[in-house]
Amino acid sequence: MGSRWTWRLLALPGVAWLSVFFLAAFYAVVAVAFGNQDTLSNPVPYWNPLDWNVGYVLEVLENLWNGDQYLTVSLRTIEFVVIAVGLSLLIGYPVAYFTARHAGRWKGIVLLALILPLWINYLMRMLAWINLLAPDGIGSRLLHTFGIEKLFLTLGLLSEPGGWLNGQPSTVILALVYGYIPFFILPLFVAIDRIDKRQIEAARDLGASPLSAFLRVTLPLSVPGILAGAVLISLPMFGDYYTADLVSASTQTNMIGNQIDEFMRQGSEKVTGAALTLLLSSFLLVLMFYYLRTTRQAGTSAQTTA
Amino acid sequence: MEHPKESGISRRQLLRRSAGAAAGLGVAGVLAGCENTTTPIGAETAAGETTGASAELVVPKPLGPAGLPLPRPDNSVTWAITDDNRPIADGVKPEAGPLKIYNYADYIDPATVKKFQKQFNTKVQIATYNSADEATAKLASGAVEFDLVMGLSGSNIVNLIAQKLLKPLNHSYLPNLEKNIWPELADPFYDRGARFTVPYVVWMDGIGWRNDKVSQDVAAMDVPWDIFWESEAYRGRVGILDDRRDALSMPMQRDAMHKGVRPDLNTEDQAVVDKAQRDLSALGPISNPKITITDYQTLPEGKTVLHHSWSGDLLGAAFYYMPKGVPPTVLSFWGPESNGVVQNDFFCIGKTSKSPALAHEFINFFLDEKNAYNNFINYTGYTPPQKNIDAEALIKSGAIPDTLEQAVVRPDQFAANQELLQLSVKGQQYWDNAWSKFKAG
Repeated sequence: MGSRWTWRLLALPGVAWLSVFFLAAFYAVVAVAFGNQDTLSNPVPYWNPLDWNVGYVLEVLENLWNGDQYLTVSLRTIEFVVIAVGLSLLIGYPVAYFTARHAGRWKGIVLLALILPLWINYLMRMLAWINLLAPDGIGSRLLHTFGIEKLFLTLGLLSEPGGWLNGQPSTVILALVYGYIPFFILPLFVAIDRIDKRQIEAARDLGASPLSAFLRVTLPLSVPGILAGAVLISLPMFGDYYTADLVSASTQTNMIGNQIDEFMRQGSEKVTGAALTLLLSSFLLVLMFYYLRTTRQAGTSAQTTA
Repeated sequence: MEHPKESGISRRQLLRRSAGAAAGLGVAGVLAGCENTTTPIGAETAAGETTGASAELVVPKPLGPAGLPLPRPDNSVTWAITDDNRPIADGVKPEAGPLKIYNYADYIDPATVKKFQKQFNTKVQIATYNSADEATAKLASGAVEFDLVMGLSGSNIVNLIAQKLLKPLNHSYLPNLEKNIWPELADPFYDRGARFTVPYVVWMDGIGWRNDKVSQDVAAMDVPWDIFWESEAYRGRVGILDDRRDALSMPMQRDAMHKGVRPDLNTEDQAVVDKAQRDLSALGPISNPKITITDYQTLPEGKTVLHHSWSGDLLGAAFYYMPKGVPPTVLSFWGPESNGVVQNDFFCIGKTSKSPALAHEFINFFLDEKNAYNNFINYTGYTPPQKNIDAEALIKSGAIPDTLEQAVVRPDQFAANQELLQLSVKGQQYWDNAWSKFKAG
C-alpha cells in the first residue's frame, strides 16, 4: 500500500506542472475567447462559463462557414502540414530504418548527427537558410547545379530561377520539413529499434521475401512510431508562423499561426486571436484523440498477437 | 459593457452604447480629464449619462477609447491636468537616476546617450518593445517601470491619457522645445500646449527603390504609387510595409491622387477600407509582394528592389547597411508632397517616474540641435523636427546622397500630409478585419 502511494506521488510534479502551465493557461485562453474587450481594446476574460459571450467564436465560425479568410488560411495550413509530414515520412523513414537496423556500431554517431542541428536555435537555422537560398547563395547555386531547381521549375513549384525566397509555398514546406524532421526520426528510430528481430527472422524462415517481410512485419510494427513522429511534428507545425514569415513573408504562404500572431501581437482584437487559437486547439484535440485511439488499438492488437 | 461582438447586439446599437461603456475605467473621471478646445464633442454629455442606450450622441467626430475625443487636425485637444497628477515644480535638481527609458530597439544613438550620462553623471537604462500595442499594454499593467517612453505616437495618445499613464510636463525644463522645434509640433493638435508629450522624430511613407534595378523613374510617374501595380518585372522582390494602417492607406492615397482629391487616411468608412484591401490583395498575382519592415536591410542587399517604405529606413539603410562595393546612391526615395502619410512620435514621462527632473533634462538634451543632428545622422536616420536641419544642407555636407533628398521630411510637407491617428474601436475593427483578409492571401 505504502509503496503504491510513493509511485503515485512521483506523478505529482508533472500533474502540478500541467495544471498550472497547461490547464490554467488554456482556460485563460478560453475565458478570453468567450470574453469581450473594453473600450481600450484590451481583452476582458469572462471566467464564469455562465457569463460566456459566444459572439467572437461565432464570428470566427461564421467566417469559416462563408469561406472567408480564416477558411483560406486553415486549408492552406492543413495542406502545408500534410505535405510536410508526408515528406518527413519519405525522408525520415529510410534514415530511421538504416540507423536502427544497419548502422551497427555507428548507431550512436548517426543518432548524434541527427540531434546535432537541434543544438542551434530554430530561428538561427531558418535565418541561415535565408542566406543559403538567396539568389547568389551557395544553397541556390547547388540546387541549380544538381538540376533540382530545374525540376522545381518544370513542376511549377518555383516561379523563376533563383526565386526560392520570393514567397514560394514549396520553400515554406521544405523549411518546415527541415526544421522539424529530427523530431520525426527519433521516435520512429526507437519504434524500429524495438522490433524483435526474431519476428522478422520467423517471417523469412516461413518463406517471405525481404520486401514482403518488411511490408508485412517491420512496417506494421513501426506504425506507432510513425504516428508518434507525425503527431510530434504536426502539432508545432500547425501553430508555426515564423517559418513562413522568415522564408517567404508573402500573403500567399501565411498560415493560421500568422493570423493568430496578427491579432494577438499587433492588432487590437486579441479576443478574435483567442477565438482562433481555440479553433486550432479543438482541431488538434480531434487529431490527438485519433492518435490515442489508434495507438491503443495497436497496443491491444499487439498484445493479442503476442 | 457592450460590444459589437457581444452576441445579440447589433453593431448599430454598439455605436450608441459605447459612449457609456468604459469598462472599469471610471468613465466620469476619465471624461473630466479632457478639455476639448475646438469642436464641442459631447463628451461632457456622456459623462453624466453612463447608463448605456440612453447616451445616444450626435457626434461630429468618432469618439475614442473611454469616450475621449480622438484628436484630429481640425479637432485639436487639450488634455486636462488634474490635481492628483501635477507637473513637477520649477528648479528641481536632476535626480541621481538611473533613468529608465522604454523605447523601440536601436532607436536612439548610444553615443549621444553616453554623452548625456557623462554630462549628468547618471546611468541610462533602456528597455525595448516591439509594437505600440505591446508598449501600452505593458505600461498599463505596470509590468514595466519607466521614467521616459519614446516612440509612441498620435495613434496611441488617447490610450495613454485614458489610462492615466503620463505625467504632465513642466516646460521650464524644456527651453529647447520652443527654441528648436517646428512650431506646429511644439504645440501639436493631438496635445495642445505639449502638456504631456514632446516630439522626437518625423517620417513619411513613400517608395524606396533600387535605381540600378528598377527601370522606371518612379518619382516622375503621374501617380508614383502605381508602380506597385505595374511591378510584374520585379515579382518576389517587392515589399509592402507590414503595418495595417500604413499598408491599407497606401491604395487610398493612390486612388485619391488619381482623382485629385484629398483622402481621409483615418477613415472609418468600411467601404473605403475594404476597397483598399481589395486593391492591396490584387498585388498578389502581380508581384507576390513580401509584407515586411526589413527594407532597410533588403534594399541595400538587393533582396528587394521596390518597397513601400518609411523615409527614415532609407536613410538608415544608406548609413549602415550598404554591402561592400554598393554605393548608397543606388537607393532612391519618393514621398508625396501632400495627401500622403507623415508621422511623428514623441517623448513622454511616466506618471510614477522616480526621476522626473532627470527625464525632463533628457528630453531637453535630445531637443538640442547638435545632439538631435548626431542622433539623426549617426544613428537613426529619422528626421528630428528641428528648425535648422534641412535636406539641402545635408546633401551639401555629404551626409546623405542626393537620391535620398526626399527622405528628409520638410515642415511644409509635414503640414500638407496627414498623420495616421487613433481610430474609434469600431473603425479600428474595420481596418483590422481588412488587414486580416489581406494577410490571408
